Amino acid sequence: MTAVGDPPRPAPAARPALGQFVRATTTPAKLRLLLVGLVSLCLIWGGVAAWVVSQRASGANDVVGTSEPLSLDGQQIYRALSDADATAASAFLSGGLEPLAARRRYQADIAQAAAHLESATAAAGHSPAARNLATLSAGLPVYTGEVETARADNRLGLPLGAAYLREASGLMRGTLLPAARDVSAQANGQLSVASGRATGLPLALVLLVAAAAVGYVLYRAQRWLFSRTHRILSPGLVVASVAAVVSLLWLVIAVGVARADLLQARAHGSAPVAALAQADIAALRAHADESLTLIDAGGDDSFQADFKAVQHQLGPGSGTLLTGAVTAARGSPGAGSAAAAATTATAWYAAHRTVRFLDDNGKHTQAVRLAATPGPGHSGTLFARLDSSLTGAIAAEQVVFRSSAVAGRDAFTGLEAGVIVLSLIMAVGCARGLSRRLAEYR
Amino acid sequence: MKPRHWLRLPPLLLVVAAMAVWAVPGSAAVMAPPAHRLTAAAARATPSCDPTASLRPAGPPQVTPGSFMAKVRARGYLIAGVDQSTYHFGYLNPLDGKIEGFDIDMVRAVAAAIFGNPDKIEFKAISDAQRIPGIQSGAIDIVAHTMTINCARLQQVDFSTVYYAAGQRVLVEANSLVKGIADLGGKKVCATTGSTSIANIKAALSHPVPVAVPFWTDCLVLLQQGDVAAISTDDSILAGLAGQDPWTKIVGPRFSFEPYGLAISKQHPDFVRFVNAVLQRIRADGQWAASYARWVGTPVPAPPPARYKD
Repeated sequence: MTAVGDPPRPAPAARPALGQFVRATTTPAKLRLLLVGLVSLCLIWGGVAAWVVSQRASGANDVVGTSEPLSLDGQQIYRALSDADATAASAFLSGGLEPLAARRRYQADIAQAAAHLESATAAAGHSPAARNLATLSAGLPVYTGEVETARADNRLGLPLGAAYLREASGLMRGTLLPAARDVSAQANGQLSVASGRATGLPLALVLLVAAAAVGYVLYRAQRWLFSRTHRILSPGLVVASVAAVVSLLWLVIAVGVARADLLQARAHGSAPVAALAQADIAALRAHADESLTLIDAGGDDSFQADFKAVQHQLGPGSGTLLTGAVTAARGSPGAGSAAAAATTATAWYAAHRTVRFLDDNGKHTQAVRLAATPGPGHSGTLFARLDSSLTGAIAAEQVVFRSSAVAGRDAFTGLEAGVIVLSLIMAVGCARGLSRRLAEYR
Repeated sequence: MKPRHWLRLPPLLLVVAAMAVWAVPGSAAVMAPPAHRLTAAAARATPSCDPTASLRPAGPPQVTPGSFMAKVRARGYLIAGVDQSTYHFGYLNPLDGKIEGFDIDMVRAVAAAIFGNPDKIEFKAISDAQRIPGIQSGAIDIVAHTMTINCARLQQVDFSTVYYAAGQRVLVEANSLVKGIADLGGKKVCATTGSTSIANIKAALSHPVPVAVPFWTDCLVLLQQGDVAAISTDDSILAGLAGQDPWTKIVGPRFSFEPYGLAISKQHPDFVRFVNAVLQRIRADGQWAASYARWVGTPVPAPPPARYKD
């Protein structure tokens, strides 16, 4: 960068021997040294500030443009597949004439999973999520094929249908859901890193230290000039100082606002979303367990055991997913729905116990009716309420996340270019101010 | 503004961090470790006995005062432990939500003899492993569950006379050249985990490769997908599988003998005699043959003869 304002006459005095220049015994020599030092300092300041800003802005950009969509895709794939598993099992339970709503819901789940799978694959590039996404792409058609075979056999009244459904569910739970969970986890990891880059404190401290150094040097330079020349104001240096103050204020405000927005996005957006999504996915799994236990009917209690295990994790209760989600959502728009979900879960467990009691005591048909048809106090209805509370809370939190993250990113608009231009103005100001004084010694 | 990524963490760190955050519990693979149909393998190593001889009935079935049957009648229903997934023996018909099959017809005949109404039954779907404990604890009155009578089991529970004589055979796809267990050397053959069938496959001289799964219908899934060459178990169960897929056939001779009996507690010899009287009646009046024709097929053989030890 050679944007130093032309020293009016770069004649003999401006080209002393190197040794003399460095030792700077005379005032003009000192002035020359100061000029070079100040201009360099301004340019370095501009560079450092622009670098810090670009780091933060690219972090914020990543959050909004890449990590958040990928994390959303991952979570949607995971949820859609869990929902497909639960819906296929619950529809199967209704026999050959499965309810149209359940059929539509299953189809929508598969369509949604496929769509998010495609966009996630495009967004993931060569990231670690790519391999899991490939597993999902390969496994999804196999899964749907098995579910359709199960339906066809069920429609014929063959117990073989249940075996195909078990096989499909085994593929879903053994291969597809773990892959979806990993994609979600990888995407969330990426989101945390991007968000950390945009909000981390160390870089902000670098910026403050640099600003303090520049401010101090500018101040000392003007004091020194005053003591030497007895002129209070040098217009060039004043311009440089004003530019320094402006750039510092802009930086502090933009970085502060962006940080607050992104932290808000995290605290009231992505963190509750992740907690709620985990709870929802666990609830879906337990719902599938309930149906599969009724379908299996061979006295095999592994799905019921899984229900118990998932219920234990889901809660509510201290250290459980639901209570965690309620805590995470506290003070956010999804808080009401999250709390309602926790209450509904308890009622659902009670209804589930009734289903098991009926089924265990030879009343399979009544148990199925309670699990698969809508009605007050029916297990199926209570689960649907739990699920919609959780998805409602997730949607509310996602809105918060999106708007806060976008606001955080937008706070950086024009800032990088701005600090570069301001630092150039500072450099020119210093150069002009000092070269004026220097000229007076001719 | 150009994004710069100088500060990115290495991807591995990312993954580790992410997993720590998102370790959703309880999502391991799901297929249950099974317990299955047919006899326990332990059955083989027990004192010899005459397994098919049961208690002689005292005339036609009669609910005498003070008998176990009188208690059941007072309760209002018979509690039967059954299978819900073995087509044509004990299975839940998805079309009407009712449990049906040859095994079920046997208990219905018993209920009819007690109540004059074959529907007075509370069915409990149980696994193989729950059959003997269910009887011993008194939670179940009678088990009708393709259950082979053998000496080991006779030490724990009582059995009725034989109501069905099964034997192990082989099920293959219709175009298969396999003619029996002898042709299956080195090939994959499916049966349920812990069944006597899987033990018999392992012991076969031709050395097939046994493949164990939780349910018989799981074997049919594997056969249809080309993952196994054959299924081998009791011909009664094979007939139920073949009934679900017309592109399969049962081949080869029987290479084991599996006599099925209804299991009853050793506490209730009066009930065993009563059930034997019921079986004797349905053998004679054509009910047994009608059930056989409905669930197993025609031609209907002579029912297995009742043998008594008095």
